[in-house]
Amino acid sequence: MLRPPALALAATLASRAEPALTVPVRGITRTAPPPAAEPDPTGPVLDVRDLHISFPGGVHALRGVDLSVERGEVVGLVGESGSGKTVLGLAALGLLSPKAIVTGSASLAGVDMVGVDDATRREARRRHAGAVFQDPMTSLNPTMRVGRQVAEAAGSLEAAIDLLDRAGIPDPKRRVRQYPHELSGGLRQRVMIAMAIAGDPDLVVADEPTTALDVTVQAQILRLFRELRGAASSFVFVTHDLAVAREVADRIVVLYGGRVAEVGPTDAVLHAPAHPYTAALLVARLGAHSRVGEPLPTLVGEPPDPRRPAEGCAFAARCAHAEPTTCTTELPEVEAVSTSRAVACVRRTEIAAHVTELRAVETWPPEPPLTSELAVQMRGVTKGFGWGKARRVAVDALDLDVRKGSCVALVGESGCGKTTTLRMAVGLERPDSGRIEHGHGNPPQLVFQEAGASLTPWLRVGDLMQERLRNAGLPAKERDARVRDTLALVGLPDAVANARAGELSGGQRQRVALARAVLIPPSLLACDEPISALDVSLAAVVLNLLGRLRRELGMAMLFVTHDLGAARFVSDETVVMSGGVVVERGVTQEVLAAPQHDATKELLAAVPDFDAGTATEGTPS
Amino acid sequence: MAVADPVLLGAAVSRPARLRSRVRIGGWELAGLVVLALVSLVAVFAPVLAPHSTTQPVAAGPFVSPFHGALLGTDDLGRDLLSRTLYGIRSTWLSALAVVGSGIVIGTVIGSVAAMAGGVVDALLMRITDLFLALPGPVLAIVAVVALGPSLPHTLLAVAAVWWPWYARIVRGEVRALLVRPHVDAARLAGTRPIALARRHLLPGAVPAVLTTASLDIGNLVLTLAGLSFLGLGAPPPTPELGAMTANGLTYLLGQPWIALVPACAVFVLAFAANLAGDGVRDLLDAV
Repeated sequence: MLRPPALALAATLASRAEPALTVPVRGITRTAPPPAAEPDPTGPVLDVRDLHISFPGGVHALRGVDLSVERGEVVGLVGESGSGKTVLGLAALGLLSPKAIVTGSASLAGVDMVGVDDATRREARRRHAGAVFQDPMTSLNPTMRVGRQVAEAAGSLEAAIDLLDRAGIPDPKRRVRQYPHELSGGLRQRVMIAMAIAGDPDLVVADEPTTALDVTVQAQILRLFRELRGAASSFVFVTHDLAVAREVADRIVVLYGGRVAEVGPTDAVLHAPAHPYTAALLVARLGAHSRVGEPLPTLVGEPPDPRRPAEGCAFAARCAHAEPTTCTTELPEVEAVSTSRAVACVRRTEIAAHVTELRAVETWPPEPPLTSELAVQMRGVTKGFGWGKARRVAVDALDLDVRKGSCVALVGESGCGKTTTLRMAVGLERPDSGRIEHGHGNPPQLVFQEAGASLTPWLRVGDLMQERLRNAGLPAKERDARVRDTLALVGLPDAVANARAGELSGGQRQRVALARAVLIPPSLLACDEPISALDVSLAAVVLNLLGRLRRELGMAMLFVTHDLGAARFVSDETVVMSGGVVVERGVTQEVLAAPQHDATKELLAAVPDFDAGTATEGTPS
Repeated sequence: MAVADPVLLGAAVSRPARLRSRVRIGGWELAGLVVLALVSLVAVFAPVLAPHSTTQPVAAGPFVSPFHGALLGTDDLGRDLLSRTLYGIRSTWLSALAVVGSGIVIGTVIGSVAAMAGGVVDALLMRITDLFLALPGPVLAIVAVVALGPSLPHTLLAVAAVWWPWYARIVRGEVRALLVRPHVDAARLAGTRPIALARRHLLPGAVPAVLTTASLDIGNLVLTLAGLSFLGLGAPPPTPELGAMTANGLTYLLGQPWIALVPACAVFVLAFAANLAGDGVRDLLDAV
């Protein structure tokens, strides 16, 4: 991957406690770099002015961004993959790749982090900045005890223990002697946060710090960020999820296509979005307002290609309110609409009243008729891994039925055995004991969590699809037509058949993976967390596709998720697992309305409470 | 991610292999590749390129120094050193390719069967692999020559027997890593049978690792083969072989140094170029 080496970045951010001035080293006097100008205590902590960043190969990541972060403020930087949000965060820390082509400025406590030399930059970072990255395992040094790593930032082991305590780590005196692999994901992220707030930096940049975590852990970490707000000075919280931003941010900055689309106080932006993109994100988000049995309103089209920046508004191609002339030719400037809000849309006044309307959504055929016939029946199924003392039972004496025409949601925290159950249901794992029977029809198929990774990278999409048909014994002359028809069914052009997975966009990969699964409509379509790694707009697209295909092709569905919001939207029945056993099952609406088991209640509490009185009420129309 | 994402995003489908155009390799590595390309040409066209017979004396007579009647001089029996060196390169280079090729083939079969079967079969095959790995190559070559008689194929057989286990281990490791990837599960669910699974969904993923090893390996092999030939474990005289020619020339090293130095230089250039080219191939494959 081209992901910045988080470990190296984390290391450059550590060792903050080292004295800043002249240090004698083995008799030689080393002169520290000239101290940076003392920050103005009243001015913004971070001041980004007209920042343009591009990379070799003509990738325009940022195209003129202004942003200021005041002292003590938490700013949520929201955007989908490719919007430039991570690059902006790295620029603020002065951690851009040396290949980046930069104009404009990004001043952190008075030091231009994209303009000055490396030594000054490093010094400013050491004194003023902290960072938390998405994956704490790759950001921590696996060969070093936690205490030593935190002490590198904190100065002493006592200070490290104090920091771990502040980051909400129970029994920090014991934890400092452990290695990162001995900690859970949530604890590791707390260690990263402890390192980031060491020495009370002026600015902490947190880049998707909760995305890799389990829902319940995510809620705890978000709570920690809220608690820390007063302690460290300012936070820039980078995320693709508006609901997460809402939990922590005072102010939200929405990025789209490398430019700011909208800025404003969190509540104001979420209650009354002014930019059509923000509005669309809110409407497309799965939540309590989403109507069961109807497609979600979605954003049409693909995210902008950073290699081919639009001449006009980057969102015009997907916008329901775009005008052919002004929007596609005129680059919208971010203009203040009130003292605290600004928006980059030339038609903001004309469309203010109906900004949450989206382009016409698709319609679904009626639900397939429910029958008593079973698509899959599992009885007393048990599966364990390992031998002897290391043996761990993943699934214990599980009974599960999926009737034809129905959709069953299998929910639970990670490690509860739901994925193992799913893999047994489609035949990828064999149970140690118990019985699994499939009903009549074509063998079951699986939609993987990472759609891109389920496509063999060196084979063309057409090859992969042909292979499936060839294996099923379909005559050669029928295969081409079937591939074309199925690609059309998921809304892809024929040309996709000639591409490899790496040449497709995220949305195209999702569609291809789905097309391959339904090429020969299976009796049971199993889905393994198909939307948990996706941006809001793409998640809506995938959920709609699944809903439509299920109805059109009459497939039963087994939908594994940790998100009860998604379960509510897609399923008729919900089965809750915990510790390898089923703890609750029933009609989805009833389970969600009156959860009986603690595990269900905990999952429900973890769904970000997003819908109370947002602008999405009453829409879609 | 942010740096990578823009590269992968975007609607276009017609962007084949964008990354490939960014690959750069250094001047030394490029020179190594060019030399090896020339060596391969020499190996193929040695019969055409050689000006004289490799076994019959030339008119100029024995011990002629370079540029005095023969371009690279003649040896103690008056044979043309240029012709003999060209044939020596041919023999060494083709032998090295054959051993690496056989290593790749045997290693791929054993490694992928072990990885895909797992359990007892895996353990058994890998212990057999370890057994072959423990055999000392030169000693095995001596045994082969003693038992089967001196000839190049016997030597190559002995070397190939100890060479494949490395490839078996690499292929097994790569295939095992690929086996847990979702695309393999997806192919299984698409009804793909084990042999097609290996051929289409697993082994192409092991190609970069195997090619990188092979290209770094071949310089090593050139030295091993020349060394065995130097010890008299190659083809019997008068067949021209670089190692044997160097050994023969040592007798005359003080008076007529070219007799030993010309084939020795050929070995040096071959091994050096192969190592440089190996680095180049590794850079190319890493970048993709």
